[in-house]
Amino acid sequence: MQTLFPWLILLLPLAAAALISLFTRPHRDLSARLSIGAIVAGFWLTLLLFALPGAAAQAYETRIPWLAAGGLQIDFGLRIDRLSLLMALVVTAVGGAIHIYSYEYMRGERRFSTYFACLSLFTFAMLGVVFAPNFVQMFFFWELVGVSSYLLIGFWFERPAAADAGLKAFLVNRVGDLGFLLGILLVWSRLGSVHFGELERRLAENPAALGAMATVAGLLIFCGALGKSAQFPLHIWLPDAMEGPTPVSALIHAATMVAAGVYMLARVFFLLAATPHWPAALHFLEGLDALEIIRIIGLFTALMAGLIALQQDDIKRVLAYSTLSQLGYMVMAIGLGQPGPAMFHLATHAGFKALLFLGAGAIILALHHEQDIWRMGGLRRAMPLTFWTFLIATLALCAVPPLGGFYSKESILAHAWHQDKLVFALAWCGSVLTALYMFRLVLVVFGGSPRRPRDAQPHEPSHIATWPMLFLAGLTVLAGGADVEGFLAGGAQGTASLASRLAGPLAHAPFVMLAGLAATGLGFAMAWGLYRGAYRDPLPARWSTLASALRQRLLLDAWYARWIGGSFEALACLASGVDRWIIAGAAVRGVHGSVELTGRLLRLAQTGKVSTYAFALGCGVAALLYWLIR
Amino acid sequence: MNAILTMPEMAVTALALGLLVLDLWTPADRKGDLGIAAIGGLALILAGSFLFGAGAPQYAFGGMYVLDGMALFFKRLMLGVGVVALAAALEYSKRFAAGTAEYCALILLAVSGMMWAASANHWALLFVSVELMTVTFYVLVSFERTRMPSLEAGVKYLILGALASAFLVYGVALVFGGTGTLGFAGDSGPGLGTGSVLVRVGLALVLAGLGFKIGMVPCQFWAPDVYQGAPAPTAALLAAGSKAAGFALLLRVLLEAAPDWALEMRPVLMLIAGASILYGNLCAIPQRNLKRLLGYSSIAHAGYMLLGIVVLERAGAAAILFYLAGYACAVLAAFLVAALAFDPGEPEEIPALAGLHRRSPYLAAALALSMISLAGIPPLVGFFGKFLLLKGVVLAAFDSRSFGWLAGVALAGIVTSFYYYFGVVRAIYWSAPAAERPPIAVSRVAGAALGACLVGIVAAGVFPSPLLEAARLAAGALRIP
Repeated sequence: MQTLFPWLILLLPLAAAALISLFTRPHRDLSARLSIGAIVAGFWLTLLLFALPGAAAQAYETRIPWLAAGGLQIDFGLRIDRLSLLMALVVTAVGGAIHIYSYEYMRGERRFSTYFACLSLFTFAMLGVVFAPNFVQMFFFWELVGVSSYLLIGFWFERPAAADAGLKAFLVNRVGDLGFLLGILLVWSRLGSVHFGELERRLAENPAALGAMATVAGLLIFCGALGKSAQFPLHIWLPDAMEGPTPVSALIHAATMVAAGVYMLARVFFLLAATPHWPAALHFLEGLDALEIIRIIGLFTALMAGLIALQQDDIKRVLAYSTLSQLGYMVMAIGLGQPGPAMFHLATHAGFKALLFLGAGAIILALHHEQDIWRMGGLRRAMPLTFWTFLIATLALCAVPPLGGFYSKESILAHAWHQDKLVFALAWCGSVLTALYMFRLVLVVFGGSPRRPRDAQPHEPSHIATWPMLFLAGLTVLAGGADVEGFLAGGAQGTASLASRLAGPLAHAPFVMLAGLAATGLGFAMAWGLYRGAYRDPLPARWSTLASALRQRLLLDAWYARWIGGSFEALACLASGVDRWIIAGAAVRGVHGSVELTGRLLRLAQTGKVSTYAFALGCGVAALLYWLIR
Repeated sequence: MNAILTMPEMAVTALALGLLVLDLWTPADRKGDLGIAAIGGLALILAGSFLFGAGAPQYAFGGMYVLDGMALFFKRLMLGVGVVALAAALEYSKRFAAGTAEYCALILLAVSGMMWAASANHWALLFVSVELMTVTFYVLVSFERTRMPSLEAGVKYLILGALASAFLVYGVALVFGGTGTLGFAGDSGPGLGTGSVLVRVGLALVLAGLGFKIGMVPCQFWAPDVYQGAPAPTAALLAAGSKAAGFALLLRVLLEAAPDWALEMRPVLMLIAGASILYGNLCAIPQRNLKRLLGYSSIAHAGYMLLGIVVLERAGAAAILFYLAGYACAVLAAFLVAALAFDPGEPEEIPALAGLHRRSPYLAAALALSMISLAGIPPLVGFFGKFLLLKGVVLAAFDSRSFGWLAGVALAGIVTSFYYYFGVVRAIYWSAPAAERPPIAVSRVAGAALGACLVGIVAAGVFPSPLLEAARLAAGALRIP
């Protein structure tokens, strides 16, 4: 049971994807049911695994030997421990809700079945990353996540923007993955294994095993997370990925793709925390360790994305930058040496961010694909259920007790406070920004009076879409009671009573908690002052330079387009010239022509006449005999 | 006597004869059931063959017949090939006016011939089993009596096959004349080939006769014409089964019976391997007919597999066994699609495959997968087979530079082959069909047989270890003195 269930959890979505694309494509309903059934079954199986006595207590592996080449033994296996179980639960619970929601959202879509096939493939890839016991398998599924996200983001490939966004996500991720691959190769060459457990053991035996490349290896592996979890400077794909269908945005932003980076960092944390050491060529960096760099990048991403989110007008883009910002917090927590709080925040964030996206999707549907927040307004009355769930998720994101987001964020802030006051101060500013941009969104979208054409009568989506939202809202409210950090740390469950846990932040770090609440309050007050009843954004009028810089995403995208795009254009011209004249012209045409000519000449020997054949056969045998007895 | 060892062959022969007898009492509209029964029977025998363990070699008929790991491997392979070929035959025989049962029975007899060949440890059994195969194939190739290309192919196979058989039997006679014994030397006594000119010339003639079976240069001329003209199931059996039997015998003769002679002939064998690879691949380029293309490619694949023989080691033999299994899966799938995707009487032109992915996504995917596997692209089984064969040659190249040339030729051939294999894939998915054609209905039996091939192609490519282990075990049974 303990080995069967994980295999089922992993393979059911694959089976669904295969069945849909091979057989049930014409049957829309059946296809959707297969896909939804696979992930919901995965969710129940994961819950059962939690419930099985002792299943969660001990890490174990199930594996099939796959490849043995020289000293390298690679298995295809599953690693089941607290970390992967928690992540699998997040993926299947949030992903399942999004699957069901998709059924309503994509109802009129022509390629409905294909959509669900892609969704299942994506789920399979993500679960593969979660259960991977070694780097090779993780990298394989890592890439599969990239491919399937390309399919989903570019699902409406008829629209150039969507096709471009899919391509952008794929290409930017390749940059990070190259670093990841180099990191894996480096670790393998130094430690002689790709298996996580084995690596950890070898590193524990000999902490200096990575030698001079320790920090470089950690940073290269971090590059993978840089791409997948969209950290600066590879963050540019994530906002564009909003071109995909809204449930896809929810899936990519909440439970799966971007979470993969943070999850991977938590999984290989022992590598990142290895004794810092630089090779001689990079000696000037001595004194800086990998975690410090990770911390800085996470913090910078959190602040930058929070700022940009202030001036976005597209409802999904605000949420996208908010995701970036929260991912920054998680990466920062890893950089602080605290994978537990990072995973805790990942789990709570998965719930409430998915909820925010589903709410946004409901609004977009109700307003016939209007995404500009300045054309919404007053939706509180028209869509009360969406409003309340959206508000709950917003409060959770702004870390208001007793919602889940409060505990996870307080935990990160508290660790920052204990380690580095400057990091804490900046992260606190990020909290202010979070509250500001989220309440801006809520006030503009739901408050005030309607700013849309008169004839539109927005209404709530049907039950199929609202149930997942209610489910996620429930999760968001209850997540505060979950002792994720304690669970991951391996302590026995239920040592601390629920009440003491809920009051934990007040007892452990009262100052941090109060400061956090103050940040939220400050942000809310600023939003209330600026945006209550506003008809258009007041910021561009007051601080035009800042606002326009933020609107242009701090000019980063334009800079990338000009410099990287431009230099690639020049390289591409050169390559195309070489290809056209030298490779295709001289080499390929020449080789192809001569090969084809030889083929045609040889074919002349194949006359079709038996006498020719017999003669040639006789000649051949004669030549053979001549060689023998010459 | 130990005749119990020959149970599988006996059972297949009995099945064939029983089929012919039952045919007398079966009404015309129920003939299909006979084919199903044949498939079931053969599958049962395949399952039963696993009762035999691959222990120490066991002999029957006074040492004429040997049952060792390699014989078992080949028998299982041939039984599997037979099952798929029967499924194809069942589908294809709807085109015949009559004779479903005869066709199936002939396939069974050919399979039994191949199985005898796998166990041959004696020149007489070698010749008889080869003839059992060949004579059956004369009929199988020309079975579509109303279609001219089938008859033409039959005549060509008959005449050239008779010529090859003549070489074979003359060679056997010379060897017997030189040594005075018809048994392979095996573990006892030195291998053949050190001795007289008589024996050496005889062995060369045997090589030519067996080379006809595997379709190597200079005995390859029949392959494209016969593959093109023969009914698709026959061609499938020729490619997957007959070739495997040829290699089984070649391994026995070259590695077990006459290793010294093989060592002496090594330069010639290398030349033959390289020439086969180049000839098959180069000639395949301008082809437009799918079956003819497969005929040329079968010559190239014979060349690849000869790479496993020229290294004259167990590892090479294991690579051949692995490759044969993978090749059988891919080529059976390709011929199955050729049997299903074209209308009766329609020539199997590659451009006519345009739009196949709309008419039947399953057949399109199957043909594409088999082509990709034949081309040797990872992670399919064809890649791993080629890798193993090339690995042996490259390792040998460290000792002798001529092996380096051979590896280069093989690589060039593999690269060339991408051109025509992917031409087929392109025709399936990227060319516009001339006219809209109706979807193809794939029967359950044919679909299952095709599915088995595809599972083989993918599974043995992704998880090569079990098959590789079986091939190593089988090659370990070779008694290389």
